[in-house]
Amino acid sequence: MIFESKIFKATLLLLGIGITIAILTGIYMFNMPHRNIKTTNTDYQLKTSEIVNEYLQNPTSANEKYLDEEGESKILEITGKITSISIDFNNQIVILLKDNDSKAGVTCTFSDESKIIAQKLKQYQIVVVKGVIRSGASYDEDLEMYENVILEKCSLINIIQS
Amino acid sequence: MKNKILSFVLLLAVSFSVFAQNENKLITKKSHFKFYSHTSIEDIEANNYKSVGTINTQSGEIVFSVPMQSFEFEKAKMQQHYNSPKFLDTKKFPKAKLKGKITNFGDMNFKKDGEYNVQIEGELSIHGQSKQINENAIISVKGNSIKLNSTLNLTLADFGIAFKDGKPSTNIAKVIKTTVVAEY
Repeated sequence: MIFESKIFKATLLLLGIGITIAILTGIYMFNMPHRNIKTTNTDYQLKTSEIVNEYLQNPTSANEKYLDEEGESKILEITGKITSISIDFNNQIVILLKDNDSKAGVTCTFSDESKIIAQKLKQYQIVVVKGVIRSGASYDEDLEMYENVILEKCSLINIIQS
Repeated sequence: MKNKILSFVLLLAVSFSVFAQNENKLITKKSHFKFYSHTSIEDIEANNYKSVGTINTQSGEIVFSVPMQSFEFEKAKMQQHYNSPKFLDTKKFPKAKLKGKITNFGDMNFKKDGEYNVQIEGELSIHGQSKQINENAIISVKGNSIKLNSTLNLTLADFGIAFKDGKPSTNIAKVIKTTVVAEY
């Protein structure tokens, strides 16, 4: 009898632990934080012209290379010249990196935590910016214009030339 | 010499036509697309600030290109589900497109301040599937600033997005309220 109840107790305990782990995993998965782009390793280091040309030449293979099925797309460090600075509806700073002779560029939206640094940026500076790619450059025949590569959650890595 | 003059005239004509085309086209300076799903279990919201759009002030044609991976959710897991092949499949279909025309364009005057109620008829492509739409929007003109506001109710099944069972079928609304704000 004693033996039986010991087994019973142990089983109950194990079951309890199992259920607790399952619940905790569930809660963790549900509340899993977003990927921290700034602290995650960079996948590719490129110049503005390199990423833009790669997309204009072969959008299918570029999407295959850079975009992720679950939206956890590649993290890029882009070197380029700031041609314009603006603020979006979310009150975030957006810079456009674009070469003078290029059809399209790379827009980078800075993350909230990089805002103070981003505020110091000026037009024509050459900078290195890290962020997650959301979509590539392409010519849109309905808009009748080129669309830029989109990078979000950006942070400033370096100012190469002021 | 003749050739040179000819090519110069040609160049002038080409650059003029490019210029003329751009002059009639307003391009968004900023935009905001918001998805809102309401069920008795939970409310889900996602925001996108990266869409690009144009309005042709001569023809009334209106276009939006929406980068689908730019929709940001509060919960990371939801965002992964939304992007995945089971739902929006954003790797395969990275952009959604709205292409329409203002049908009561005669009432619209981009040079006169005011709020204009417009009807937009056209096509919306999401997830590789297109649907005819007929929506209302308000275009506000104030000096050089032009703003567009609209709310679209999008039925997921129209775009081949259906959840038969499990959590998504109970937690995600069948009709997603989509609000659009754009500044040109």
